Amino acid sequence: MRLLASIRGLMSAIYHRSRAESDLDEELRAHVQYRADDLGRSGLSPEDAKRRARVEFGGYQKFKEEGREALAGRFFDSLLQDVRFALRVLRKSPGFTAVAILTLALGIGANTAIFTLANAMIFQHLPVRASNRLVVIWINNMEHSWSRIGPAGQDYLNWKDRTKSFEDLFLFEHGTGTVTGQGEPEQVAGLRVTTNFGDFFGIKPFLGRTFLLEEAEAKNNLMILSYHYWQGKFGSNPSVVGRGITLNGEQYTIIGVLPPEVSTAFPGDVVVPFDNAWVKRADSDLGVFGRLKKGVTVEQASSEMNVLMQGIARERPSRKGYGSVLVPLESVRVEYIRPALLVLLGAVGFVLLIACANVANLMLSRSVGRQKEFALRVALGAGRWRMARQFLAESTLLALLGGGAGLLLAWWSTFLLMKYVPSRIPVPNAADTVLLPTVHLDGTVLIFTLAISVLTGIIFGLVPIFQTLRCDVYESLKEGAKGSLSSPRGNRARAALLIVEGALAFILVIGAGLMIKSFSNLLSQSPGFKPDHLLTLRIKLPDDAKDSPYKDPKQQIATFQRFLTKIQAVPGVQSAAFAEIVPLTQDDMDMGFFVIKEQPPLPPGEQLSSDFRDVSPDYFRTMGIPLIQGRTFTDYDNLDNARVVIIDESLARHFFTNQNPIGKHLQIPDSRQPEREIVGIVGGVRDTGFDQRPRPTIYLPSLQDSDQSMSLVVRTNLPPAAILPAIKNAIWKVDRDLPVFNVRLMDEVILQITSAQRIAFLALDALAFLALVLAAIGIYGVTSYAVGQRTREIGIRMALGAQPGDVLRAVVGQGVKPMFWGLAIGLLAALGLTRLMSSLLFGVSATDPFTFGGVAFLLAAVALVACYIPARRAMRVDPVVALRHE
Amino acid sequence: MTVQAQILPGTLDLLILKAVSLGPSHGYGILLRIEQISGKALLIEQGALYPALFRLVRQGLLKANWGTSDNNRRAKFYDLTAAGLKRLRKEEESWNRLVSAIGTALGARPEEI
Repeated sequence: MRLLASIRGLMSAIYHRSRAESDLDEELRAHVQYRADDLGRSGLSPEDAKRRARVEFGGYQKFKEEGREALAGRFFDSLLQDVRFALRVLRKSPGFTAVAILTLALGIGANTAIFTLANAMIFQHLPVRASNRLVVIWINNMEHSWSRIGPAGQDYLNWKDRTKSFEDLFLFEHGTGTVTGQGEPEQVAGLRVTTNFGDFFGIKPFLGRTFLLEEAEAKNNLMILSYHYWQGKFGSNPSVVGRGITLNGEQYTIIGVLPPEVSTAFPGDVVVPFDNAWVKRADSDLGVFGRLKKGVTVEQASSEMNVLMQGIARERPSRKGYGSVLVPLESVRVEYIRPALLVLLGAVGFVLLIACANVANLMLSRSVGRQKEFALRVALGAGRWRMARQFLAESTLLALLGGGAGLLLAWWSTFLLMKYVPSRIPVPNAADTVLLPTVHLDGTVLIFTLAISVLTGIIFGLVPIFQTLRCDVYESLKEGAKGSLSSPRGNRARAALLIVEGALAFILVIGAGLMIKSFSNLLSQSPGFKPDHLLTLRIKLPDDAKDSPYKDPKQQIATFQRFLTKIQAVPGVQSAAFAEIVPLTQDDMDMGFFVIKEQPPLPPGEQLSSDFRDVSPDYFRTMGIPLIQGRTFTDYDNLDNARVVIIDESLARHFFTNQNPIGKHLQIPDSRQPEREIVGIVGGVRDTGFDQRPRPTIYLPSLQDSDQSMSLVVRTNLPPAAILPAIKNAIWKVDRDLPVFNVRLMDEVILQITSAQRIAFLALDALAFLALVLAAIGIYGVTSYAVGQRTREIGIRMALGAQPGDVLRAVVGQGVKPMFWGLAIGLLAALGLTRLMSSLLFGVSATDPFTFGGVAFLLAAVALVACYIPARRAMRVDPVVALRHE
Repeated sequence: MTVQAQILPGTLDLLILKAVSLGPSHGYGILLRIEQISGKALLIEQGALYPALFRLVRQGLLKANWGTSDNNRRAKFYDLTAAGLKRLRKEEESWNRLVSAIGTALGARPEEI
């Protein structure tokens, strides 16, 4: 009740400060006036009466001040007093304060850092309309283990006609194009979208407008610019709307500019529309988003879509065996990194708990030393609530100081961590990457830090409060100055804290141990090629344009051949080759069916499937993919000669058990030549990720199979920055208008593909190390405190004939026993908890006995050492000195 | 002229409650009433009255309202709340007990021990 009244007083004091102030003034002045009137009536002149009244009133300002304080209530006042007292106490024991703040800074800082990452990546919404109802729709074919492939335009049209789960569907295609006529030729990344683009995402254009639905009825060369492209290319010119621009040799009209905030959702440069005819013939690898109707769940929509797919398969047999995959758009973006972040969020929580346990232990030890002080104050009439508040003020102050230091630590470590995270991360199983949101400390993070600081302060402040408030005043005053020597209750609390610390540390170190093992497994996996000294970049021949010289497949093949000749002549190039898709880059996918001519036909409905790759003759040598049998491609494998293929080891193993594949023939449906002889077998390549097995792959000579867009791979011993200009020049010698893009080192690609594991690995190791150090400090602190407290007892024991070894055993036992209990509990908990991180683990089971054993051994060793150091001090206690100590 | 005495610490609240219990009044009126009912024997530093009044309001023992005084000036009037009345009874009782105990103690003679 009193507290409520205080709060009310405080609130009204704050909100009505000025009002209360003038009221106060008026009341006091009225008093002086009354008095002056009375004095005047007794015969004094008005001036004298006034002066006299003021004198009688006393110190006007002083009483006004006191009155103001009385109005606001004492709550504020005593709070200030508590804080001042706490500051004094903390200053008096700088060692304790420093250790506590450092411990808390580590705990809170780690939490803030991980929360910053999680906040940016998991909890933030995309800046588009109803972003939580948007889902990505893929099709899949589990028979061929194609788990996520882009649908075709016809799928989109069928779905749009039939679905009842979605308000609207949106179709798009990523692409690149060449902008000419405005300075140097420039490769732009773009989206081709259905004309409901603006309405679907609720986009309010920064300038101009978005597409109109009816603009899909004919081919309209309209273009919307991204904010950044508009800034860079057009210098933020506001009159850009209505201007013309040449893309792939065609004239487009700029109709609008996207607002800056949607750039995280659409990271391209330009947006152009699909027309209806184009949607009908667009064959595959498109992107479809759907906006769910309100109240429809993803599961409901999934089951509807799967039923739809069965109906579609009856009309279009090419879709037989296909289903659909629906994933919320917001979780797709972070799907890859999410498990790592969740594990880290759990882990930092543990670190904070360990830090809390440590500081609680320190406070407990100190409070035992201060027990007499507390008892005295209780005896003198201090309320227990008041005492508790003082403890809380002390602990909260510590936690806030720790939080402040932690914030700095977090700022620095997020900065450090972001250096190891690439800006793009893969979308699992979808041959696609997404832009990672940028990470920075913001208001949410500050509030989070403040909240956990206060919470932390309360958590570890409560432990000594319960301990002290239950103490018997009389007993405490009676006992010696050192406080209760080994009050069983205090010891039990400390042992309990040690058990908690031991268990938490064990779980964390187990997690880190598994991660270390898994990561080294992952990195020791050979991708099937030699990734060092490999430079890759992509070239696209603009055959979309009407008058493109590259329409003819033969012309395409010849052009890439000319590039190669020029590039191979560049000094420093050891070897160079073209490939349709370079492994691990997630650039694209090419999968299809094939038939082995020499094998009996499969039952109807069953088909063999494989990845297809068009490569130039030197590809295997350049990549360092070993030839196992037969030969690689040569310049002779061109359109004038017999069609040939090379298969990889994994395809040979899968489909040619106990047969020699060389000389056998593959028939490949679709436009490729029907029959091809197998001339070689090469090693398998992990194409989609280090943790995936090599998929069956068929290599076709690029001299027999044309592509519009290919990746160049160059093996060089020069630094890439040094050789890149020469390579670009070599390309431009063939065609001045060709842009070169996606320039990457293979090492960088690998960094990107392993980034989730890398983050988990680095951060979890750091956290586990932190946990280990904190636990060691905790056990060391408790043991050495106990030794200090028991000096007299040890002295007596030694005087009575105890050997140093006995003392050592007793002291070490006291510290190690709760730690072993903690290890046992941690072991059981870890068996359950590590399963949560199994998706991050590669080549190691979540309950790997070696890791568990090793970590148990490590922690036991750390506990022993942490106990042994103070125990040695106990052993050297001189009985005479110890006894005289009294 | 009567001899004026400084009031004992802690008794100001009791005096204010008593004065207000005789009827609502503004600060100056309370001061005058205390002087009057104590036979001008008790000296109160005038300004000290106000922090005490505000404290009592905050504790819920008094309530304050702005009104007009008999000579038509705006003034803040204090009145006793139910809790204030209860507190007054309690304090009166314990004061009387204290006074009689102290009186008895001071009246003690050597042979009574």
